Amino acid sequence: MSAEVRESAQGFVRESAQRKPARTQQRRPGNPLRDNADRRLPRIPPPCALVVFGITGDLAQKKLLPAVYDLANRGLLPTNFVLLGFARRDWGDGEFIELAHKAAKEHARTPWREDVWKRLAASCKFVPGAFDDDDAFDTLAETLLDLEESHGVAGNAAFYLSIPPDSFPIVLKQMQRTGMSDNIDDSITGYWRRVVVEKPFGHDLLSSRELNELVDSVFTAQDVFRIDHYLGKETVQNLLALRFANTLFEPVWNSHHVDSVQITMAEDVGIGSRANFYDATGTARDVVQNHILQLLALTAMEEPVEYTPDAIRTEKLKVLRAISLPDDLSRYAIRGQYTQGWLAGQRVPGYVQEDKVPDDSKTETYVALRLGVQTRRWAGVPFYLRAGKRLPRRVTEIALTFRRAPHVPFTASDTESLGQNQLVVRVQPDEGVTLKFGSKVPGTVMEVRDVAMDFLYGTAFTEASPEAYERLLLDVLIGDATLFPRHKEVEASWAVIDPLEEFWAGQQPAHYRAGEWGPVEADQMLASDGRIWRRP
Amino acid sequence: MSTLWDTTGTEVVKALGAARRNGAAVTSGLALTFVVVAEERHVEMAEAAATTAAAMHPCRLVMVVRRENTAPTPRLDAEVSVGGRLGPGEAVQLRMYGRLALHAESVVLPLLAPDVPVVTWWPGKAPDRLGTDGLGVLAERRVTDCAVHDNALDALRTRASDYAPGDTDLAWTRITSWRSMLAAAVDSAGDPGRASVTVTGGRVYGRPDSASAALLAGWLSSRLYTSVKVVESDPKAPEKGGLPDPGGVSGARLDLAGADPIYIHHREGAGVVTRSGRPDSSAALTERDIGELLGEELRRLDADESYCAALAAATNSRGLSRRPGTRSLIWEDPAAAPDKRGEDVTVAGKVQGSRR
Repeated sequence: MSAEVRESAQGFVRESAQRKPARTQQRRPGNPLRDNADRRLPRIPPPCALVVFGITGDLAQKKLLPAVYDLANRGLLPTNFVLLGFARRDWGDGEFIELAHKAAKEHARTPWREDVWKRLAASCKFVPGAFDDDDAFDTLAETLLDLEESHGVAGNAAFYLSIPPDSFPIVLKQMQRTGMSDNIDDSITGYWRRVVVEKPFGHDLLSSRELNELVDSVFTAQDVFRIDHYLGKETVQNLLALRFANTLFEPVWNSHHVDSVQITMAEDVGIGSRANFYDATGTARDVVQNHILQLLALTAMEEPVEYTPDAIRTEKLKVLRAISLPDDLSRYAIRGQYTQGWLAGQRVPGYVQEDKVPDDSKTETYVALRLGVQTRRWAGVPFYLRAGKRLPRRVTEIALTFRRAPHVPFTASDTESLGQNQLVVRVQPDEGVTLKFGSKVPGTVMEVRDVAMDFLYGTAFTEASPEAYERLLLDVLIGDATLFPRHKEVEASWAVIDPLEEFWAGQQPAHYRAGEWGPVEADQMLASDGRIWRRP
Repeated sequence: MSTLWDTTGTEVVKALGAARRNGAAVTSGLALTFVVVAEERHVEMAEAAATTAAAMHPCRLVMVVRRENTAPTPRLDAEVSVGGRLGPGEAVQLRMYGRLALHAESVVLPLLAPDVPVVTWWPGKAPDRLGTDGLGVLAERRVTDCAVHDNALDALRTRASDYAPGDTDLAWTRITSWRSMLAAAVDSAGDPGRASVTVTGGRVYGRPDSASAALLAGWLSSRLYTSVKVVESDPKAPEKGGLPDPGGVSGARLDLAGADPIYIHHREGAGVVTRSGRPDSSAALTERDIGELLGEELRRLDADESYCAALAAATNSRGLSRRPGTRSLIWEDPAAAPDKRGEDVTVAGKVQGSRR
């Protein structure tokens, strides 16, 4: 029980009397207009520039540019803000603004307002150049310096690396050479320089360590923001609220009551145009190492001592380090690859028939795993993870299955259709929480059947919730690292994946037809534990 | 959707229960009951706004339209819908005639969602004393709008004299983006690497009769511990505010210790920050419709301390924050005290008198 909760037990009056001074103390020093009790005022970043490398890329156009517009439209960008694009295109500001206009208008979440766009466009700049072009980076550094004067951005800049990971070193070295990344101590320089890195953070422990060392040496460790967009999702943040703001769930959130945990991340799409990347990566590296292990960490972590980036990341790291692999990998670490099949009424090709995928590819498009978490809370509870492409529907969820009651007074036939109680956190779609429990079927006999109690953010009510990228971008500019994994977390995750990749190397993945819930081996894996996969 | 003519409160409760059972599963997770007290001529606007707000916050919408309280026989008409015309949640629209209009809470009380906060909103003119309306008494949050009054400043003073924690006014909600902008301007006023600036005072430009401008000045006064006045803006001079926005605020000046003041003025949907020696900069001042304003109101269901301080400063009132947060019903029968009431109530009194 937290101190605050204990206080409140002693009476509301006392609690509110104690809370108030804390609020006023936390007021941002120097600005009398900021008050923590004033919860209407949004968080707005200081004057700054957002520099995007690879602005012409898919992600930048579908997510980043629309997110910038949405932030501007919601009045969440500072008055002095510049968006600076860098890419290998022979472009001026005009062409860039045209591209950004199109991308933002097509993908923006909030209504389109031309006047908002016009103001934003006035602070859009473009610098053309290749990553190995010294002159281009000199121009970029100069442009950034000029913007301090002309747009009053006060030297603050966030660099978004929306580029393939193999270009990271050269771009980082260029930034170091031109002094753009200089940010030893922002209390001395008076401005901040941050870098935003997208997954994949390396392809194994060694490479991720190298990458982390490089990024951390060019910038400083606390100025590196690794985007895992899953953590920007409303439901994932709600997981912390669900667990730590309530009294109801904490007592049963352990191996005494939880029988097993299933984390599912299913996609109905194939690999699309990412064949080159995907064939070299595979599902384990693509989503298990980051998204799924982060979901596992949030599910299994202990209560952080406070809601601060450091406290939360410390707890997550402890879980990631406590993850254990099963001894029998051939049974509990299943890889799959989809073959030709039918999905949602359409015939879809198999993985090796996809464009640019070699015919003898052994890359997996499906992973099912059993992990353990070696802590007092979780010892003995299996965590079943699965992720895959071309599964029947797109769904991500965390399901806690509870143990059966040790004794039920009803006869076996009464409770035949009673399953185990479940708590399901639906991450996407239909964001919400479901509690499954047994209930009497109306009638003259005692018959118990499973029913579901649903909390649904629902399509109708989520209209107002921001896109993950919007939230995360804002956090970067404000400097709030709560939702960004630290390099130690990344390395701990790779330490889980590396032995698996080593075991799988050279093996042929099991096959499953597109449109099925994975290969039969994955079902056998749960069957041998006396369990079955939940149909999400 | 089901429509009930000349019905009773019990029938409405039954109809809502039936609609919940038969309707789609959109009804789970109610966060509040949203009571709207509308006059017939505001119904359309209020419906649109409440629907927008309901889309942001899962709520049960109860709209009460009081009509013809002179009608000789009390009568209740109701419309019940779940996931229909009035937003994605549950909605009940009640039209009350005759003497029943004075006892609207008797119909509304059983319709409140169990154990969730109640917010009451008056889209038109709210009563001078909210305690006289039973629908205000049962609410934790009461939302009024001074801007609909002919004399908004008088209305603001009325709100201050009647204030209880949990009251808020849309004139205050309208200036959130202004306040956010002013706070951000102060955040970035200091030179990089130097200590932040000290704000010594300021000024608000706007329509002198605007409640929003008065509240913005009140907010600045309460935060800066100095008196900040509203000055009529000059549409031709941008540094004196330029054209006011729909809320009636056109700009502000913030005086800094040992530095040039910051000017912020409204121009074409944006706030432009001007300061000598620095380039102009601007950000969107989002113009929001009533529905979006309500969406902001419904986010927080506890008393708004900042509003309380701003209201107190804007109207020179004291002790507002120490008032009790709950209201009790002040019974005011329009029939019993015709001399104290307005014209239409006098008519009601006559009718009532003849009925007795």
